[in-house]
Amino acid sequence: MTAFFIWARRFAAYRSLTELLARSSLARLAIISALPLAWIVLANIAPLVQMFVISFYQSYPLAAGTAPEFTIRHYFAFFERPLYLSAFARSFIFATLVTALTLLVMFPVAYYIAKVAPRIRRVRLLLLVIAPFWISEIIRSFAWMLMLSNRGAVNSFLSSVGYSGPPFELLYNNISLTIGVLYLTSLYMLLPLYSALEKIDDRLLEAAADLGATSFRRFTRIILPLARDGIVTGCTLVFLLVVGLYAMPVLLGGPSNTLFASTIGQIFGRAGDSWPLGSAFSMILIFAALAYVGVFMAVLQKQPGRRS
Amino acid sequence: MMHHLGKVALPVYFWLFVTWLFLPLFVMAAMGFRDSNFVAFPIQSWTTDWYQSVLDDREILASLWVSLQVAVLSTILGLGIGTPMAFMVARFHGVWRAILITIIVMPAFIPIVVSAIALRMFIGNFGIQTGLVAIAFGHAVSSVPFVVVMLLTRLNSMSPNLADAARDLGADEFIIFFRVVLPYLSPALFGAFMFCMLLSFEDFTRSFFLGSFDPTFPVLLFARLRFGFDPGLAAISTLVLVATIALGIYAERFTRKRTAPAKQGRLAASGDDKNV
Repeated sequence: MTAFFIWARRFAAYRSLTELLARSSLARLAIISALPLAWIVLANIAPLVQMFVISFYQSYPLAAGTAPEFTIRHYFAFFERPLYLSAFARSFIFATLVTALTLLVMFPVAYYIAKVAPRIRRVRLLLLVIAPFWISEIIRSFAWMLMLSNRGAVNSFLSSVGYSGPPFELLYNNISLTIGVLYLTSLYMLLPLYSALEKIDDRLLEAAADLGATSFRRFTRIILPLARDGIVTGCTLVFLLVVGLYAMPVLLGGPSNTLFASTIGQIFGRAGDSWPLGSAFSMILIFAALAYVGVFMAVLQKQPGRRS
Repeated sequence: MMHHLGKVALPVYFWLFVTWLFLPLFVMAAMGFRDSNFVAFPIQSWTTDWYQSVLDDREILASLWVSLQVAVLSTILGLGIGTPMAFMVARFHGVWRAILITIIVMPAFIPIVVSAIALRMFIGNFGIQTGLVAIAFGHAVSSVPFVVVMLLTRLNSMSPNLADAARDLGADEFIIFFRVVLPYLSPALFGAFMFCMLLSFEDFTRSFFLGSFDPTFPVLLFARLRFGFDPGLAAISTLVLVATIALGIYAERFTRKRTAPAKQGRLAASGDDKNV
């Protein structure tokens, strides 16, 4: 490959280009940045801006040659139907509970890998726990369907150990949905927690123990405050993930507990010009979720453990 | 008390968690061997018919092929955009860098349903139809932030002395890029490559909203699961699962092995490394 570039030096244009690049860092920056900047605008910003604008349209797509008429009625529609409001509330309550549950379940796991397990085994243990997360959300939902259905693994295990009543209704309700979503979110909690816990200096804990701090006190005064950033990151990631879930609630949840993301998906699936309505709901979801997470972060920053 | 907790309770809890993670997957693998049209336990007679018959299911094979094409296309896009983007970010410092990174990782914080639908409406402006290309675009949008972060981590550890030395020895900017910088980045690039492939292959939501009549494998599986399930679906899911996990573990090990010796080389090359 080097030979090609040396060959290219015969041409004055190539020589002046490389000299310009060697001399001017601005030229290097320009060459590097053109494509990424275009991508940022076209892929990250423009689609959301367009969605924001469409949410104020009377109808979309526009008929050829007509100017759009603007309205805010789609935002009002959100408050008019209890169906929408209850799905929205259910989404946020469910996401909050699942986030808390994920934190509770994953903290000991992260703590074990980061602090208790022998150092040389850490990477292997981490890999073991990460491996199932390369699998599709749909396959994992399916696996839980096989576990929880009326004639599934759990119920047949129960009957094989002597339980003879009717099978437990475990599938298509909040139980199956919570278990399935926890299966999905645990990694997003584990990794931030692990990297925060791993950084805690063991000598801090030893010193505290030498000075007579009980294990409970060491936990609340040293481990928790130092793990705070990991907790905040993990909870943020998990909350935003759960609020946007579409497939798993459809597969594992019951028909009576629709979440808001499914509502939005259904609106876009409907025939007719429902796109402005769906766009308005999407905007409500984005802003509400980010505001909720923002408040959560602000509250945690103010906790007394922050004082130095 | 903490002592006992650490020595007994925590390991027990950890292995219970691992069991909880893997048990459903083993149950699914076993279900693929059930000699019946219905999914139920216990499994009384076993057969390998399901595993054989799904390999004749044209719809499933076609969907796997679509998934593979989408994965390759979106990985090319994701690396092609993410690599220069990481270089761009590396040139900024302080507040500007923070702002830039915030905008770049934004897609990871937008609810997936919303970003998938926003993209779908957006590509309509350019006359791009839903389908393979649209899905690949959607996957690239979600993988670029991760590519940038992964490459940036590696790039931050690279000593500027390397490029300077090459320049003093007469290399021009292109030679430096292809012979010094890219080889240094290669473990991170490979990691990012595998990440893009796996992320694309497992995605449902974007494929669902950006796809048309040729479903990717997760979309097809979703459609079939809504009408009930048979052991055949368990069989094909297990095959895909085994392939995915094997690839993931291979990628992880490969990246780790390649990164370790390079760290020592970095120490020798820069001499003033504070991170190690």
